[in-house]
Parts: sequence; C-alpha cells; structure tokens
Amino acid sequence: MRQLLNSDLELFVESDFIYLPLLFDPEIEKETQALLQSGRAVENSGETESKIIVKIKDIHFIKTLSLHSLLKNYEEINAYSYKHLRNACLQKYHLTREVDSIFFGETLNTILFQVMPYFVRKNRGLQRKNLSDEEILDFVGEKIHIPGRYYKEAETFGDLQPLQAILKGLEDEKPIYKPPVNGLFTGRKLREWLHEAVHANVLASEQKRIAETLKVREQFSQAKPKHIAILLYLADTGSLEIDGFGFTRKNGYKGEYFVYKRVGEFVLKDYYARSYLFPACRVAVSTYTPFRPFVMEKYKHPFLLRHKSGQEICMQHFAPPDEFTAENAIRILEGGLTALRYGYDARRRNGYHSLDRTWVYIPTIDFEDYRI
Amino acid sequence: MTFLQNIRNERARQRKKNPLKRDVFNQICSLVKQYHLKESFLSVLDNVEEDLSGDNLKFNRVKLKTPMESSLFSLATKDEYSLTMSIIGKVDNAYLKFANSPEEILLCGPLYRLNSTLGPEKLMRYHFETLFLHERAKIDHIKT
Repeated sequence: MRQLLNSDLELFVESDFIYLPLLFDPEIEKETQALLQSGRAVENSGETESKIIVKIKDIHFIKTLSLHSLLKNYEEINAYSYKHLRNACLQKYHLTREVDSIFFGETLNTILFQVMPYFVRKNRGLQRKNLSDEEILDFVGEKIHIPGRYYKEAETFGDLQPLQAILKGLEDEKPIYKPPVNGLFTGRKLREWLHEAVHANVLASEQKRIAETLKVREQFSQAKPKHIAILLYLADTGSLEIDGFGFTRKNGYKGEYFVYKRVGEFVLKDYYARSYLFPACRVAVSTYTPFRPFVMEKYKHPFLLRHKSGQEICMQHFAPPDEFTAENAIRILEGGLTALRYGYDARRRNGYHSLDRTWVYIPTIDFEDYRI
Repeated sequence: MTFLQNIRNERARQRKKNPLKRDVFNQICSLVKQYHLKESFLSVLDNVEEDLSGDNLKFNRVKLKTPMESSLFSLATKDEYSLTMSIIGKVDNAYLKFANSPEEILLCGPLYRLNSTLGPEKLMRYHFETLFLHERAKIDHIKT
C-alpha cells in the first residue's frame, strides 16, 4: 500500500473505494470476461451500489481497499507514518506534550518562576526585590539567545482562529474530512488526501485538548510575543541554564526534569591537613521520587559510594520530602551542595571513604590523584 | 483393497508433492517484463525467417543459455498481457516455454520447423541458436 501511495500509478476512486489497475493472467482474463458478460461486475454492497470491476479509458480497474477503513485503521497499518503525521499535526497547532507541560504543567512553572530566582543573581548591585513572572521571563530573555523561528511561532501561537474554526466544526458535528470526488487519481495525490484526512482525525481525537488549549491561549493573548517565544523555546528544548543553575528534561519520563546547580572546584583537607582539589560538578534533584540530591557527572567524593555518574549524596539525618515543591527543591539542592563542599570532617573521617589512607586502608576509592 | 487401505492410499496421494509445471505464459510474461519488450518486438518476430535465410548466423562458438528465474505466477498489466498473448499466439509451439531470452523467442519457430522432436533436456540446456545451427548443419550434411 505504501508503494502504491508513493507511486505515480493511476488509481480510480468511487464510492469510498480505491480501484487499482487490474493485472492479468489467462485465468483472470477469463473471469473478467465472464463477469462483464454476465453483468455481475455490479454488486450491491450496503446502500451504495459499487462495482467489482470498472473500465475507464480502456483500462480495467478492480475494487480493492475501502478508504474509510484505510483511514480508520491507518494507525495499525502504518504506525510509523501515523506517528509522524500526528506529531506534525500537533506541532503545527502547538498541541504537543512539551507545550502542554509549560502552559499547563505545574512542575516547569515551579522550577522557572520559584526555584530559579532563588539561585540566580537577578539584580545588579545591592538592590534586592522579588521579580514577577513577566520580569523573570524578561530576565531569561536577556540571558539566553532565542532563535528567530520561535518569535515567528509565537505569532502563529497567538492566532486563535484556526483552532477556533476546528473546534466549532467538531462541536457542530460536521464531517471531519471531505471524501475525495469519484474519478482518477495518481497515487501521490491520493496520499495527500489521506494525510489531510489523518490530520483531521487527529484533531478530532484531540477535541478536549483543543478546548483546553484555547482557554489557556485566550489567557495568554495579552502576553508579549517575546514571552511566548521564550516559553515555546523552553517547551521545545526542555532545558535552560543561567548562572550555574539549570534544568533539563528527563528523556523517557513525561514532563519530568532534573534541576541542578553547578559547583565550582573546591578544596577539602584530610586528617594531616593535606589539600585535595575536587573538580566542578552538578548537584541535582529530580522532579520525581526519590527527592534526594545526587551528582550528575561521573564523580568521586567521600560522600559518594562509588566512582560513577548519578550517585546520591550520603547525608546524615536527611529525610526526603514526599512531594516536589519549590521549598523542597531549594532545600535539597542546598543540602547537597553544602554536604559536598563542607560536610566532610577530616578528624572524624565521615562518609563512605576517607581522604587519607588509614592503617586499615581498603583500596576502594582513592583520592591521591586529587591531592595538591 | 480394504476401506482403511483406500484411505491411506488416498492420503499418501494427497501428501505427494506435485512439481509445478513450466507454464508458457509465466515464462514469456517474465521475459516481457524483464526485457521491457514492446509491440515492435512482434514485427521483429514476423521478419525473423528473412533474417535467418542468409548467412547471418555463423557457428563461431557455443552460445550459453541465459540463466533466468521466472516467477511462479506472473501478473501483467494490460499492455504486457496483450504482448505476451500475441507472442504466444504467433509462435505457438512447444519449445516456447523453454525460451530464456527474447533472442530465443525469435529462434523458437525456425528451430521447431527444423526439428520438432527435441527433448526438454536439450531445450533447457542449450541455447536455441546453438540448436538451430546444429539442426541446420545436420540437414546440410544430409543434402550433400
């Protein structure tokens, strides 16, 4: 079927059925002649009368696929193409999960408007004041470069008319796609029609989402296009970093993120007051359980069990919270940063490992290469 | 023969493999599709006798049969089908189903007229040009 729709082969469409050029061998020719002579080439299928074989411009066409059925089962027939078309359609109207997460989701709003202001330097000099959401977006706009296409998308995002028309059509129960007129089509032309019909079906299946999106967009209709462009950029990339604070979308988890803060190089001292220089890393917390601080990079430290990436930081008397809130995220990140930089006690040699080699030294993790 | 034996024989007969017979339509249709033959091939087929009457063919070397994998069931478009049926109608002899190239289709009629008793083994093994020259040489030898 894919080959047919990608070819320039002439197809005939009648009564919602695709007729393909009939291929011959002696048996088929006999049957065709018999059918045409006896007049049985016409059959009654339901209400509409359709023929098994039709002859157009001296070419025989045979009834094959039902367009309605093809469209209904397109997701099963060609899952890859359906997914591609669906994504293209949703992206066209900004109905993707990523856009939802930024305009509907609480998580990203919490990170962007509540956690980030705590860690970044917002004001110059000694001035201290809390920023509004709009001021935060302005601040983000100053700090990062937003590609031009997001400004263009922001303009189309603000245009509510196409979605309003689609929603009205769906509410009025109009047919969601127009069936092709009877006649000859090339494979490619029929494919174009099929893709449009799949788009219409996708939009019909997303009626509830469209309604919600429209409500939210009406709220955003007064927002500056620049702000919408920033939000669309964040929805698309899923990551941001300003002044060492950042977040990145977790692949494979819907709407979940890693929120992190960078730690520069720091020095720890061992029992004999010898210094060890630890490299920079990122201390992070995820937006899903367990809400514990961890180091994103491959790292070794007295508070990390092994030398690998994504290890939780060992913290005494730390009770992880049950939910992700701005206060909890800030507390966890600060706890993790403090533990790494100031938590190690050279006298007590706390943590999993000791910086210096003790007399009962077990060579698991060694810090000799960090010594300065 | 008991009823049980009868059933057993019948089942054994059903289980027996029936080799697919070489079909002239499949063979010629495969050639038409493989070599993209057109209607003009029919006019070449009409004039083949004239081309062979002179010394156009010389026995320089033994020509090898072109290997070919014809499909088991050929389905053709209307044009291909009409050309295939025209070729079959024009040539209309038992050697046609052994032709492995358009050249052999052309030689099929003259070869059949020279000797219509060639066995399938020879027809499958040797190129029709080789067989044709062989048969013609045999006739020339008898004449002299």
